[in-house]
Amino acid sequence: MEAVVVDAGTKLLKAGFAVPDQPPSMLRRFPSVSSEMDAAVVDAGSKLLKFNHASSEIGPEVIPTQMKRVPEDESLTDASLLENVTVDPVVRGFIRDWDAMEDLLRHVLYTGLGWEIGNEGHILFTDPLSTPKAVREQLVQIMFEKFNISGFYASEQAVLSLYAVGRISGCTVDIGHGKMDIASVIEGAVQHISSRRFEIGGLDLTNLFAQELRKSNPHVNLTISDVEKLKERYACCAEDDAAYEKIQQACSEEQHILPDGQVIKIGRERYTVGEALFKPSILRLEAHGIVEQLVRCISTVSSENHRQLLENTVLCGGTASMTGFEDRFQKEATLSSSAIRPCLVKPPEYMPDNLANYSAWVGGAILAKVVFPQNQHVTKADYDETGPSIVHKKCF
Amino acid sequence: MSWQTYVDDHLMCDIDGQPGLRLSAAAILGHDGVVWAQSSTFPQFNAAEINGILTDFNEPGHLAPTGLFLGGTKYMVIQGEPGAVIRGKKGSGGVTIKKTGQALVFGLYEEPVTPGQCNMIVERLADYLIDQGM
Repeated sequence: MEAVVVDAGTKLLKAGFAVPDQPPSMLRRFPSVSSEMDAAVVDAGSKLLKFNHASSEIGPEVIPTQMKRVPEDESLTDASLLENVTVDPVVRGFIRDWDAMEDLLRHVLYTGLGWEIGNEGHILFTDPLSTPKAVREQLVQIMFEKFNISGFYASEQAVLSLYAVGRISGCTVDIGHGKMDIASVIEGAVQHISSRRFEIGGLDLTNLFAQELRKSNPHVNLTISDVEKLKERYACCAEDDAAYEKIQQACSEEQHILPDGQVIKIGRERYTVGEALFKPSILRLEAHGIVEQLVRCISTVSSENHRQLLENTVLCGGTASMTGFEDRFQKEATLSSSAIRPCLVKPPEYMPDNLANYSAWVGGAILAKVVFPQNQHVTKADYDETGPSIVHKKCF
Repeated sequence: MSWQTYVDDHLMCDIDGQPGLRLSAAAILGHDGVVWAQSSTFPQFNAAEINGILTDFNEPGHLAPTGLFLGGTKYMVIQGEPGAVIRGKKGSGGVTIKKTGQALVFGLYEEPVTPGQCNMIVERLADYLIDQGM
């Protein structure tokens, strides 16, 4: 049986069997702008969580990790007794709510991917940068003790994203929903001193978008999930600084009709969202733009590696697939203060499109094909002998 | 148990029961750089290198910009455990160093030994020494 690769992000969980040149098999596309009642929910059976599948499409689908708590007893007809509590197992990239995570994984592995109890296989997880040791240990513990898997491996998302594009050295700019990581990797090992994690991500951009839209459309009632959908559809990056200034002066407006019938006008706000990554002052942060941050991080590495790192830059993460982001990044890179221009890597042709959204997962699938057959992973016997701390010794 | 026995039987042992598969070199040094025991293959090192290693244990991140030197060989510093374990990588081989109360346990490996296996061996012995108060 193929190993399973799981990439649990703040917003979307990507899971599937390790078949690298296909997208993850468990990616369920979230239904279009939904009200609270239709949000995806996970069913665990023994706990109070239920899962409503969104409409499944052919091809890749992603499960949102945000879950909703619903009483198990279906006989409750009084709707007001239902708690509309959303549960976020993964916060800012790190797993925080372990019970919820366990339930989510139970669904993913047994229902979604078809594992049978008693016949669990190998699993590979991805970690964001600077994952605390305790989080990794807890994950290993849950996998071996609650799920009884036969083999475990964990690897950092930065390294995996590079494997997905066929490199072992380079830098990754991973802009996810809850966090942004800039990491430099040399020969498969992350250089922690020159890697940085920022606590801003798609979530903050969504909040910014909501704020801007509320300012220009004061009479429209928007929920965050509405804004999230709008952001994915409309947000884009201006071509460069000058173009952005022009857009701020005058921009064509588009009308969008929300599912509940309200009409909303979207104009320059869509460019503001894209600009925020290059000018964090828009988000009220005292920081340099993303290209400058990248150059600064790389400058802490010994100079013989600079060329190798900057010329192999990979953009990944959901937010990086914003329209116009890549072009703007390239343009800013040519203007940057470093002697060597950051240069983006083109993914190989056999990889699916939209690789940026789940490059860590694809890299995991590639790594799984190497690690598990060569028995470099943590086996049940190893875990029983040494305990959860074995993950630090064997997985890196 | 002499220190040499620790090196020969516990560090330079066969890995996973496979004859011939073992670390390429190993040693146990005191914090002052004095050799307590070493394998015959352990490289000649100098005081500056040991000082660099000790400083890195006290100030994690010290060796990362310049690299870890041992016996004249340069290793690229990879993720270790600040204050406890230093790991270095050179091509497909590398080194793991774990600090105990009074000693430093070194393990050097080459292909086909994996970094994970080297870590297990070095850290297992070092943890044992820590438990014994050394």
